[in-house]
Amino acid sequence: MMLHRRRWVLTIIGVVLVAIYIFPLYWMVTTSIKPQSQLFTSPPTWFPTSFDFGNYVTAVFGNAQMLRALSNSFIVSIGTTLVTLVIAAPAAYGFARLKLRWTSLLLLPFLLAQLLPTINLALPMFALFAQAGLTNSPWGLILGDTVIALPFAVIVLRPFYLGIPRELEEAAEVDGCNRWQAFWRIVLPVVRPGLVTVMAFTFVMTWGEFTLGITLNPRQEAQPVTVALNSFIGQYGTQWGPLMAASTVVAIPIVVLFIVFQRFITAGLAAGSVKD
Amino acid sequence: MTAIAQTRPTVPRGTAGRRLARRSARYLFVAPALFYLLLLMFYPLAYTFNLSVFDVNAGNFLRGGAAFVGLQNYLDFISSPDFLSSLAITLIFTVGSLVFQHVIGFCFALFFNTGFPLSGLLRAIMMVVWVLPAVVSASLWRWMYAGSYGVINAFLGLFGIHTTQAWLTDPSTALPAVIISNIWIGIPFHMMLVFAGLQTIPTTLYEAAAIDGASAWRRFWSITAPLMRPVILTALLLGFVHTFKVFDIIYVMTSGGPANATNVLSIAVYKLSFEYFRLGDGAAAANVLLVIPLLLSIVYLFFRRREETSL
Repeated sequence: MMLHRRRWVLTIIGVVLVAIYIFPLYWMVTTSIKPQSQLFTSPPTWFPTSFDFGNYVTAVFGNAQMLRALSNSFIVSIGTTLVTLVIAAPAAYGFARLKLRWTSLLLLPFLLAQLLPTINLALPMFALFAQAGLTNSPWGLILGDTVIALPFAVIVLRPFYLGIPRELEEAAEVDGCNRWQAFWRIVLPVVRPGLVTVMAFTFVMTWGEFTLGITLNPRQEAQPVTVALNSFIGQYGTQWGPLMAASTVVAIPIVVLFIVFQRFITAGLAAGSVKD
Repeated sequence: MTAIAQTRPTVPRGTAGRRLARRSARYLFVAPALFYLLLLMFYPLAYTFNLSVFDVNAGNFLRGGAAFVGLQNYLDFISSPDFLSSLAITLIFTVGSLVFQHVIGFCFALFFNTGFPLSGLLRAIMMVVWVLPAVVSASLWRWMYAGSYGVINAFLGLFGIHTTQAWLTDPSTALPAVIISNIWIGIPFHMMLVFAGLQTIPTTLYEAAAIDGASAWRRFWSITAPLMRPVILTALLLGFVHTFKVFDIIYVMTSGGPANATNVLSIAVYKLSFEYFRLGDGAAAANVLLVIPLLLSIVYLFFRRREETSL
């Protein structure tokens, strides 16, 4: 009984600590829905008493640039997720089944890629894409974002395949499947949790990507939403209400995705960065 | 799954020809990914070297005909007065962020590892901060750091410190302010890694130690700390490389200013290449930026391999 009560005391401490930690998020959302009169008060209005969704109209729903950027980001994020998945799923399988000596050598580029500063990729890619007419295009940005997502996807997926006994595919081959069919029909369904992790995480990563966005797609009609939000800061300066409304809208798809796939995301990441 | 595996006979190893076909099939699975990186990562990186030895600028970039300058761009960058200050700022930003991210993340992980009711939910809520787009966090902190009506000054006011300090536009406070925001962003990453590591330590070890009369402090230093050493090293190495290359958060919060107070190397590269459009100089600076993460990745890979063989 004593022990039981002590555990709930820890819960209360935990709630307080986490509340303090995520206070900035609370502040972002409340700022976005406060009427102007409650925004600039001293002391600040900690708990808004009335709501005003006008900031969302100003910043997002009545703002053609922001709407355009949102759709650009959806296209680029979905495209990158698909390309990454199609290339990474067989690659991670191959790496799980190669001889170890070759695995470490061939995996090296994927490990190094994760450590590469994005600006080091953005600069030459801009130079090359500018000559090829691929800047300010969703295709160029998908190509670039995949370079960031792919190595991560392979590294995270590999342990999922390592957990599958080889006999499973060998049995399929006895039944007359070729290697590709065995992979497609037998192995892939088993690693579905890994695929979900990679999908969710690639989307999250690409949606939030900024460096390639601002360098490869700076033109207004091609901007992803992160770049649009940044130029919004320049335009609206200290109009914090609309700015926080725009920030909240940019965050929402990620937060929703995270809530839905939370277990997959954290489990997969832990597997990818510690165990492997 | 295992039932199938047990009832089927194993595949006969077959002829040499079949073995070769099987082996090359494995390479076919990895070939597209390798080719992708070769074309869109290694080729661009090699192209950076090419750019860095020519005087490429706005005038001759698309037209061609930039003069070959050898290593002059590198020398110019390294000998410029901004280089050493940028390097120092980058290191202060990286180490300052990393130490606090890791220590605070570690404490949270230890706390959550006690497994109290709702701890899983609270942990998940913290992770939201980590998946937030960097631009969102950055714009949010800009508002909190605002001089008048910023919530941080209001918070200080609760403790009797009344100030209208504009944290991000004062050169003496901009760097610490950016570091604090980045600590906030990085805590969940370290918490997650450490928590995953703590979960692998068998509780029987602690129970045995407790029976032997070891205090909680003693249990931490004699069981947790040594067993967590590989996790701590991985988190710090990965964290260092990831923080060293940060561009987006700082760019959105301060653009490297005020008066270059937060001008980390990645922003210096960006300014040279995309604001002054001196691509040759930018490429040389980019390669200089690459040196430290590259050295650390060698350490990291060495460490990884040692871990792998010891398993």
